Amino acid sequence: MFVALCICCMIFFSSCQDEYYVYGIEDVEITPVNSEKDKPKTHTQYISILYANMFQKAIGPNQMLQALNAIESIGDKQVAYDMLVSKYMNDPEVKIPSVESMRADPETFVRETYTRFLVRQPTEAELQWMINYIDSRPSLTPELVFFSFATSNEHAHY
Amino acid sequence: MKRRKFITTSSLATAGAFTMPYILPSGLLGATTKPPLSEYVVFVLFAGGVRQQESVLQRYLAEGQNENVEGNIMYNMLTGAPPNDKIAYGLDDTVNNIIGGIPIDPILQTPLDQIGTLFPEVRFSKGGAGHFNGLSTGVSGNYYTTQGLRMRPQSPTIFEYLRRHAGFKATDTWYVGVSIGGSRPLLNYSAHEAYGRRYGGNFIAPTVTFGEPGMANFQNFKNYHPDTEWDKILEMREFLNQNFQQQGLEIAHLYNETEEEILIKDFVRNTFEKVNTGSVILPPVNDNGDLKTIGYAVEVLNWFKPKLTVVDMTNIDVCHGDYTSYLKNLHRADHGIGFLWREIQRIPEMAGKTTLIVMPEHGRDLEHNPIKDDNDWYSYDHSGNNENTRRIFTMMAGPGIDGNLRVGGVNNPIGDASDIVPTIADLFGIKDIVANQGLLDPSARSLFDRI
Repeated sequence: MFVALCICCMIFFSSCQDEYYVYGIEDVEITPVNSEKDKPKTHTQYISILYANMFQKAIGPNQMLQALNAIESIGDKQVAYDMLVSKYMNDPEVKIPSVESMRADPETFVRETYTRFLVRQPTEAELQWMINYIDSRPSLTPELVFFSFATSNEHAHY
Repeated sequence: MKRRKFITTSSLATAGAFTMPYILPSGLLGATTKPPLSEYVVFVLFAGGVRQQESVLQRYLAEGQNENVEGNIMYNMLTGAPPNDKIAYGLDDTVNNIIGGIPIDPILQTPLDQIGTLFPEVRFSKGGAGHFNGLSTGVSGNYYTTQGLRMRPQSPTIFEYLRRHAGFKATDTWYVGVSIGGSRPLLNYSAHEAYGRRYGGNFIAPTVTFGEPGMANFQNFKNYHPDTEWDKILEMREFLNQNFQQQGLEIAHLYNETEEEILIKDFVRNTFEKVNTGSVILPPVNDNGDLKTIGYAVEVLNWFKPKLTVVDMTNIDVCHGDYTSYLKNLHRADHGIGFLWREIQRIPEMAGKTTLIVMPEHGRDLEHNPIKDDNDWYSYDHSGNNENTRRIFTMMAGPGIDGNLRVGGVNNPIGDASDIVPTIADLFGIKDIVANQGLLDPSARSLFDRI
C-alpha cells in the first residue's frame, strides 16, 4: 500500500511540471498608413474623383473629355492639375465648408478632409500638425486646404 | 611631413584643382566641349509627309499629276518662280470661283535657302515611315523599328540631353505640338532610365489649351496671391507630400521651379486674354491648325525666350485623300516658316542669335493611290518600303551658317533624319557629350560635320 502510494506520488509529481510559456515577438513590417497607395490614377480617374470631391456629383462625359484633353495639352501635370483645380475653385457650385465651421471644430474638419480626399483618417501627428496650422493662420480658408489636398501626390494615387 | 609624402600630396591636390571645374552636375569629366554656336534654336518638324517633288524639286503638278506645270509654291523657303498655270494652292478666288486661285504673298523678301544652308536630299533612312516614328527620330536622333504609339521614345530626346548636360532649366526647352493626337505629348521626354521626366522639356498643344477644352477647364482659373494664399497651399502640400514618400511616387511634373510654374500659369492666363481680344500674334493667313500653332509658338518665344523650341505641323498629311489640299497646306506651311523667321527677328533677345532648322519627318510615295480629289488629282500615301518616302530635306539658317549653300543633291544625298539632335547639341556646344552617351543612331552626325 505504502509502495503503491509512493509510486503514485512519484508519477504525480513527475508529471506535474510547470508549464512553460514561451513568449516571442512575431516580426511585423510597420508601414505608413498610406503605403498601399502605389498606383497612379489615370487622368480620367483623377478628374472624375476630383470633380466628385469638389462638386459632390459625377462629371458628365463631354465635360470629362474636354478636361482630359485640356490636361493632356500641358506637359507639366502639376501645373495642369493646379490650373484645373483653380478653375473649379472659381465655380460657384463648388462645395466647400465655411470658414466658421472649420474654425469651430478644426479636428472634425481635418478628419473629414482626409476622408474626402485621401480616403483615410489622419495619423495623430498629421492631425495635430493640421490643427496647429489652422489655428496659427487666421487668414487660412477651407479653400486653400482643399486645394493643397486636391493637388497633393497622395490624392493622385490609390 | 616627409618629402615624398609632401610631393605626392601636393601633386594630387594640384591635379584635383585642374580637374574639379570640369565636373558638371551631370558628373562627367571634360564635359564642356566648345562655346555655343547659337544662343537659341527653333526646330520645326515640317511634318505631315512632304514629297521632294512638290517641295525642293519644285515640280508642282509635273510629276505628281502628269500635268505640264512646274513651279515653286514654297517661296519663303526656296528660291524659284511660282507656277504660272493651274494655281490651286492659295486663297480661294471667290470672284472668279477658283479654289485656291490666289497665291499667298511672300513674307520674306529673301528666301531662307539664300540666307542659310539647304540639304536638299536627306534620308529618313530606317524604321517605319509613320508620323510618330518620324517625330521621335527628329527629337531623339534615333530610329525605332518597334516604336508604337502611346510609348515614349526609348532613347533620350534633345530636351533631356540639354537639361542634363548643358544645365538648361525646364522653361528653356519647349515642344509646341500642333495637337495632342498621334502621341505627341509623349515626345517631351523619353523612357530611358538615365534620363526621363527629370530632364523633360515643357510641352504645350496651344490649339487645345486655348481652344474649347482649355476654355472650359482653364480659362479664368483662379489667381492666388503669392504671399498670402499660394504660400500656404505650398506649405500644406509639402507637408502632405512628405508624408507620402512612396518610392518616389508623385504627380508627373517636369521639375519646373516654383517661379517657372508661376511663369507658365501667367503665360496661360495672359494668352487667354489675347485670345479673347483677338490679339494673338498669328500669320497673315491662319486658316489651318498648323498656322495657328505657329502663331502660338511665337507667343511662347516672346514669353519664355526658350533656348530650344520644337514646333511640329501636320496638315500636309491630308495628302492621303486630297492632293489639292496637300498643296494648299504645303504652301501655308511655307507661309508659316516665313512668318516664324520674321517674328523671331522682331524679338530683341533672339534676333540675329537664333538658328532655325526645318525638316519634314518623312516623305511620301512616288506612286499615287487610287483616290482622286475634286480636281481629279491623285493622292499619295507614305509607305516604309517606298524609296521616295525616305527622301526629305533639311534647312538651317542663323548665325554662323553659310548662306546660299546647297549640300548634296539628287545623285548625292547627304544627311540623315537622325542628324538633328547632334546638330542642335553642336549648336549648344555639347556635341561630344551627347555622342559619348552612345544613344544616337550610328549614322547620326552633326550637319556641320557633313558640310
